[in-house]
Amino acid sequence: MAKSDPPRPATDTPIEVPGRKLAAQTRRDFLLFTAGTIAAGLGAWWLLPSAVRGRLPGSESLDSLAARGGLTSGRREALLDRTLTFDDDVAEALYSKDRTVRTYDKSEVTKIPNNYHGRTPGPEILANWSLQVSGLASGRMERITSAQLLERFKLHEQVTRLVCVEGWSAVAWWGGIRFADLLEAFPPAEGARFAALRSTVSLDGSGHPEPYYVSLDLGTLRHHQTLLATHHNGQPLSMAHGAPLRLLTPVKLGLKNIKALTDITYTRTEPADYWHERGYSKYDGL
Amino acid sequence: MTSPKSARVMPPDVPVRIVRRHHALVRLSHWLNVPLLLLLIGSGLSIHWAAPVLVHAIDPVTRSKDVVGDLGVALDRVIPTAGASRDWIYDHLGFGTRNLAQVLSLHWLLAYLFMANGLLYLIGLLAGGGWRVLVPRPSDPSGALAMMRYYLGVVPMAIGRRPWPHPPVKGPYNALQRGGYFTVIVAGLLVVLSGWAMHKPSQLGWLERLFIDYNGARVVHFACMVLFALFVVPHVILVILDGFDTFRSMVTGWSKRVKEDSHGEV
Repeated sequence: MAKSDPPRPATDTPIEVPGRKLAAQTRRDFLLFTAGTIAAGLGAWWLLPSAVRGRLPGSESLDSLAARGGLTSGRREALLDRTLTFDDDVAEALYSKDRTVRTYDKSEVTKIPNNYHGRTPGPEILANWSLQVSGLASGRMERITSAQLLERFKLHEQVTRLVCVEGWSAVAWWGGIRFADLLEAFPPAEGARFAALRSTVSLDGSGHPEPYYVSLDLGTLRHHQTLLATHHNGQPLSMAHGAPLRLLTPVKLGLKNIKALTDITYTRTEPADYWHERGYSKYDGL
Repeated sequence: MTSPKSARVMPPDVPVRIVRRHHALVRLSHWLNVPLLLLLIGSGLSIHWAAPVLVHAIDPVTRSKDVVGDLGVALDRVIPTAGASRDWIYDHLGFGTRNLAQVLSLHWLLAYLFMANGLLYLIGLLAGGGWRVLVPRPSDPSGALAMMRYYLGVVPMAIGRRPWPHPPVKGPYNALQRGGYFTVIVAGLLVVLSGWAMHKPSQLGWLERLFIDYNGARVVHFACMVLFALFVVPHVILVILDGFDTFRSMVTGWSKRVKEDSHGEV
């Protein structure tokens, strides 16, 4: 049995191995274990958010030790950015344009919070509101009022779950026109792959104007459950939920479901995204 | 022929009887789980802070609205520190509050590494045959009861100097250990599945339904985290009690406890 490298038998079959060889292998394994522990410990340290590292003792010396091993803060940020794009690629690969997202019964709706990150715009924005659409094949810029939207396009209803990046979710009953219908009526310019959706009436925490903008791929906007919502619970949208018009798409996180939409621009390259600029993912596919 | 003198310096190479216990991949992934789970739990708690899952009405005194906040308030009374006490756990066991973007990307990086590591573990279990001793057996319920009775009696019997024999164990693990390990492996699987159910509920709708709905997946994900944290306590205590051989076997793969005298208690 005492061969130089015994084949691996079933776990409980005893074997005999030369003592010296076993001792040498054991020494090697414990050295590897120690080196691995130090490496993994430094790696884990390096991955900690800087605020957490700052609170722990010996942070400066460990930081410089990690940096000497190539684990700099710049590389950490690059790795975390790469993680987001990798995860976005996974999400895009999982996406199917024909898949219908789970719908619920109207009796299953739950309370949905107003999660405007700034102040909620007042009803004065409704008076002169119109939707401005540009980047069209016609080369024109269209201005569409709510009345024109509802007159021209069929109203659809759906009860879907809105999932927030924070972790909460809510089942809500929405009514609105299909974005796909708008795309058909006003086709984007050739080569367009994205849309920049903006709300110029959005406010910051102290009530000053702070435009909100999201990037969306045209695939998402063509999805049959992507609405330009005008109604919630059978009533016209309240100010809290994005009156007079908001995006509602159950294939993206809530933060892409822009409220009080004022502008749509179709683009070839991916436009800016408010929360992506603040460290969140860009694709946000659910 | 060696002289008696040189024999003392270099003893004859006597064979040692051992059992191969853990495949190299099982050992590697076992230890990688330590930093991975620590960072996953830390970042996971900070994500949880943004929208706690087990909530109640806000306590007018502590301003806590969730179970983790309540526990933080209780801990802060025992180990007082500066700062909001309802955030105690988030600040001390998690990676703080108000840093959602940062901890989300960190959690995802670690989650992908955890899944890759889990795959290594499963490959190691299959390749090394280690899975055989982890699969529950029909005799396990009665075996687990016998082990519980043994553990409960071990200290009083030692004080009373009465004999208290270890129940007979077939193979390297007793029924309680097998149950523990098997549960943790199932929890590892569930934590990955519930994670995906939360991450992609629209594309993986079937997975979300497996947990009833989105909140079901969140509760299961949270429960798995608690189970991992609770598992570590007896796991570490028992490996210390069981002795160096058990620890060494997870580093080197081999154990000197051959079949006759094996009743490992990790």
